[in-house]
Amino acid sequence: MKQSARDEILNKLKAAPRKTIPSRSERPVLRELSLTPEELIETFSKNLSQEAGIVHRVKDRREALEKLSQIAKEEGLKKVIATTDDVIASLDLAAWGKENDVRVMTPQDFDSRDSFKDAVFEEADAGITGADFAVAESGTLGLIHNKDQARLTSLAPILHVAIVPVERMVAVYEQVIEKVFGEKKNLPSQFCFITGPSMTADIRGVPFKGMHGPRKVIVILVGE
Amino acid sequence: MEVKTEQFSEVAKEELRKAYTFLKAGATFVRIRRETALSTFPDAAAAQAYGAIIRAEAIARLPELLEEFEKNALSNGAKMFWARDANEASQYIVRLAKERGIKYVTKGKSMVTEEIGLNEALEKNGVKTWETDLGEFIIQLLGVPPFHIVGPAMNIPVAKVRDLFMEKIDLKEPTSDPVQLGHAARIFLRDKFHRVDMGIAGVNMAVAETGTIVNVENEGNIRFNKSSPRTQISVMSLEKVVPTLEDALHLVRLLCRNCTGQKLSVYVSMDNGPKKSDEIDGPEELIIVIVDNGRSRIYQDTIAREAMRCIRCGACLNGCPVYRQIGGYAYGWVYSGPMGQVLNPLLLGLEKTQDLYRATTLCGSCKSICPAGIDHPSLFLHYRAKDVSGDAALRAKKTPMMERIFFRLWMWAVTRYRLWNWGVRFVRPFVNKEAHGGMLREVGGLFKGWFRSRDLPAMAKKTFHDRWIEAQKTEFRSQKSEATTEKI
Repeated sequence: MKQSARDEILNKLKAAPRKTIPSRSERPVLRELSLTPEELIETFSKNLSQEAGIVHRVKDRREALEKLSQIAKEEGLKKVIATTDDVIASLDLAAWGKENDVRVMTPQDFDSRDSFKDAVFEEADAGITGADFAVAESGTLGLIHNKDQARLTSLAPILHVAIVPVERMVAVYEQVIEKVFGEKKNLPSQFCFITGPSMTADIRGVPFKGMHGPRKVIVILVGE
Repeated sequence: MEVKTEQFSEVAKEELRKAYTFLKAGATFVRIRRETALSTFPDAAAAQAYGAIIRAEAIARLPELLEEFEKNALSNGAKMFWARDANEASQYIVRLAKERGIKYVTKGKSMVTEEIGLNEALEKNGVKTWETDLGEFIIQLLGVPPFHIVGPAMNIPVAKVRDLFMEKIDLKEPTSDPVQLGHAARIFLRDKFHRVDMGIAGVNMAVAETGTIVNVENEGNIRFNKSSPRTQISVMSLEKVVPTLEDALHLVRLLCRNCTGQKLSVYVSMDNGPKKSDEIDGPEELIIVIVDNGRSRIYQDTIAREAMRCIRCGACLNGCPVYRQIGGYAYGWVYSGPMGQVLNPLLLGLEKTQDLYRATTLCGSCKSICPAGIDHPSLFLHYRAKDVSGDAALRAKKTPMMERIFFRLWMWAVTRYRLWNWGVRFVRPFVNKEAHGGMLREVGGLFKGWFRSRDLPAMAKKTFHDRWIEAQKTEFRSQKSEATTEKI
């Protein structure tokens, strides 16, 4: 009986001479772990600004919505697609949309992948999401993707606005991984780290933002 | 991808004539950016060394880590297909596409899909493939091989890209602005992302402890390929596995700093199986294709197998004095630069790639740069030794009998110093006849091959040995006369 490809490959690998596994030295120090919460926010903002991300700091929910109104006016937003995670849900964007003459769509408005995609690719001027984490070490957002945080919301529209409570700020990626993957079960279908707008330098090394993903990323940090 | 590794010398000569100033300047610029990025580590050397340990362990534990990865990926709901070779892998993907009535696929940058000739196989079977990484997109439209693993189209002049886009993607207004050209590509490919039903991506890391697939990118095309269609196919060569998520994160920090001088690439996406039933986007099926293509055979060689530590950062290319002169085309296959020099010979066989592991000054720049701790110079010497001995496992052809006999005699002669001295004096007039301007560049006859890639100064009138003996005599004489003068 012919071996399956899997067994053939694994058996070949197992039949090879064994080498000693090198012993692990000290795991390198993660400097950011020693920063205070305020320093973490500063570090996050500095890192994200370096990648042309825009960071706003606001006190509370009300100021966050004001900032959002400001952004809607500056960017000329007519239609946006939003997530339905707890942060965004608590902002009542439906009401905000009515006040600011912006149509706020959510995945629940669509009954199929295809109609959702039509909206997110062709109609939405911006994607508004929360974020599960903000990582200071590189100005990075961490998004768990599930029914309340669709993937394409933060990817397809040309502008991505993320509203993040400062309590979700951490120093390093490991702290995120511990929370998301720690149980090793019930893992999200996808988890993304996002650092600023999409970019490339593939033509003659000339860098620019907005290759396939958003051209602009705005993060509104909420809280004291 | 067509194999042109046996044309290394000819292509390298041609490329040398082009005198790539942008390449030398660009490589310097990228090297500085890399160093700046690495300095964000409290101890950059320790961080690089730790990366090497992770990859060494991954290779040492390869079979058990692959089993662990498979177990966890399957329990996440992913499907897995193991492919012995290029044909098995590409035919399987073709079958998946035909079964699902796929008209076109969008692809993320993946070197292993180039290895297995996936695009050709799909196109031959009526499935259109669209490369979506901007650089890969350009070279696909042009029909040229990649110039550099990170920037495959970076040598293409802007004017050529403009003309290409006007011809192939309906660019209306001619422009020499790379940014505008990029926007044109964005619009064109956006439509493909919107309607795609099968997306194909590579794998940067496969995490054994959780069955997670990690992709690293700046453009967003990989995220589209994984999230827009109903079917996601992730193709990985089997050495991409790493033990834990913490290990993967450390390697991602190193990869981004070494590759593009970034702390982190714009998107790091981590998949654990297909979408949940209540999600509106994401793949309904996630199929992982694990490709062997000769790696389990290479694994038997305990020295050569360390080449599989490579995380494809491409930093070795920018540090290599040879690559900086000739660019990527000469290396003749999927992988170029020092990376190609350690990988192509293993995957294609030593016989087909003889120039690749000889085109080096053994300066060790690549070795000192590599975050996976690959010792390229030692590997080159290992391949040369295996090449000469005709090692079957690495597919080397034994050197011809005449050459072996010659070197036997050579060894016998040069280890006898009188024979050496006599031989040198005898040979000198014949050798120097071929010298021009004090240099031997091209020599005819038996030694033509040796001089193909080496120059020597013409042989001096007196050997060092002769000059030494003369100098001793003169000094002795002058010492004697000094002593005599002193006496007086």
